[in-house]
Amino acid sequence: MTRDEFLNEMVEVLQTEDDISFDTVLADLDEWDSLSVMATMAFLDKSFGVKTEMKDYKMMKTIGDIAAKAGL
Amino acid sequence: MKCNFNHVKIKGIKTVIPEHYIDIADELQYFENNPKKLARAQKMIGYGRRYIADEMTTVTDLAVDAAEKLLREMNINREDIDLLIFVNQKPDFKEPNDACVAHGKLNLKKTCFALDINSGCTGYIQGLITAHALMSTEAFDTCLLLAGDLCGRMNDQKNRKTAPVFGDAASATILKYSADEIKSAFVMGTDGKGYDKIIYPFGGTHLPFDKESFDMTVFDEQGNYWNNKYGIMKGEDVFKFTMDVAPQLIIDTMKVANWTASDVDLFAIHQANKQIIENIVAKAGIPVEKAPADVFSKYANNSTNSVVTVLSDQTKTLNKVILCAFGVGLTWGGAALDLSGCYNGGISTFIPPNDKLTKEEQINYWIKYFKGE
Repeated sequence: MTRDEFLNEMVEVLQTEDDISFDTVLADLDEWDSLSVMATMAFLDKSFGVKTEMKDYKMMKTIGDIAAKAGL
Repeated sequence: MKCNFNHVKIKGIKTVIPEHYIDIADELQYFENNPKKLARAQKMIGYGRRYIADEMTTVTDLAVDAAEKLLREMNINREDIDLLIFVNQKPDFKEPNDACVAHGKLNLKKTCFALDINSGCTGYIQGLITAHALMSTEAFDTCLLLAGDLCGRMNDQKNRKTAPVFGDAASATILKYSADEIKSAFVMGTDGKGYDKIIYPFGGTHLPFDKESFDMTVFDEQGNYWNNKYGIMKGEDVFKFTMDVAPQLIIDTMKVANWTASDVDLFAIHQANKQIIENIVAKAGIPVEKAPADVFSKYANNSTNSVVTVLSDQTKTLNKVILCAFGVGLTWGGAALDLSGCYNGGISTFIPPNDKLTKEEQINYWIKYFKGE
């Protein structure tokens, strides 16, 4: 998965209508809630084989941090 | 643990739900009165309808109603039932267990062995494997397996972490010993270190309700509400646990049964929520069209009865079926079943009897009972 494809996938995962970039701050997104965290956990697991936990998301500040977790 | 059985046949299944339901579309107030937020939750989680029993209806009432209907529809003689298993985790009384209460209400014979299994989402499969194991001794001819839970009624609708997820249902299943070969396979697991991920911490012997603890209400940082009469669910941890075990459970269960996905008519996956089911299906690599997630939107998460609700909701003829359930404990179970010829009694509505005692009348009954009046 390319970084551009990752961003498109994240729009679906978060079900957001906002434009997002790697610099988008998660806390600024209306949709960054527990539903989105669980959707992101599942996305990283099934698409990248990366297992994450709640505490990982407390450290992440931006969409770029999620991409880094995915190895992109 | 994995195992195979060769001589137990599932003959019929029936689910019963309460009359009253709540539709998420009528709960806009919990989404900041924002229709977009409601629609997003519907799309991501699949929230829809959840049926809730009235405060005088117990899980035994629902299960006994399912059993009476199933026995009548299948023309089964209750004298044939020599094994009764009741799986639930919101019992009518602290003691005796619900299997005994149901045994009496159903007028079953006194030589019938009746036992309870205290379990939630994995419970139906735990009940099935117990029935299979006992019946494989050839000591039993006919088993009535009752299953159900009241996670809807025994919840506080203001607790938005749990309330919108759960609905009430119960079922009856008839199993028969068969001299002819009928194959079934099971895979079971437990992780008791996660016992507190889904828990009702109060009301047991650890913390019986007393003046200090009765009706205690607290809020978390996000403003989520919890009353200690009810349960706590660590949703994110349960989600991670599910993604770790459920996809592999489906693959392992097919392997033990020596089936491939193309052999299977239906994957009845515990309807935890739409998001969880869809992710399990994707990770397990099984066909989406064989693994319905819409039962959650129609009936919500029915806990112990969830996989039975999926079976009962099917209108097509089923032969080979995989059940996959996981939850409180933490526990998980997979079953590969041959349901060819099994009677599907569908989903019926429980109508409470007109002569049901009110809460006040029940309290007075037990006072008089104690006094010997």
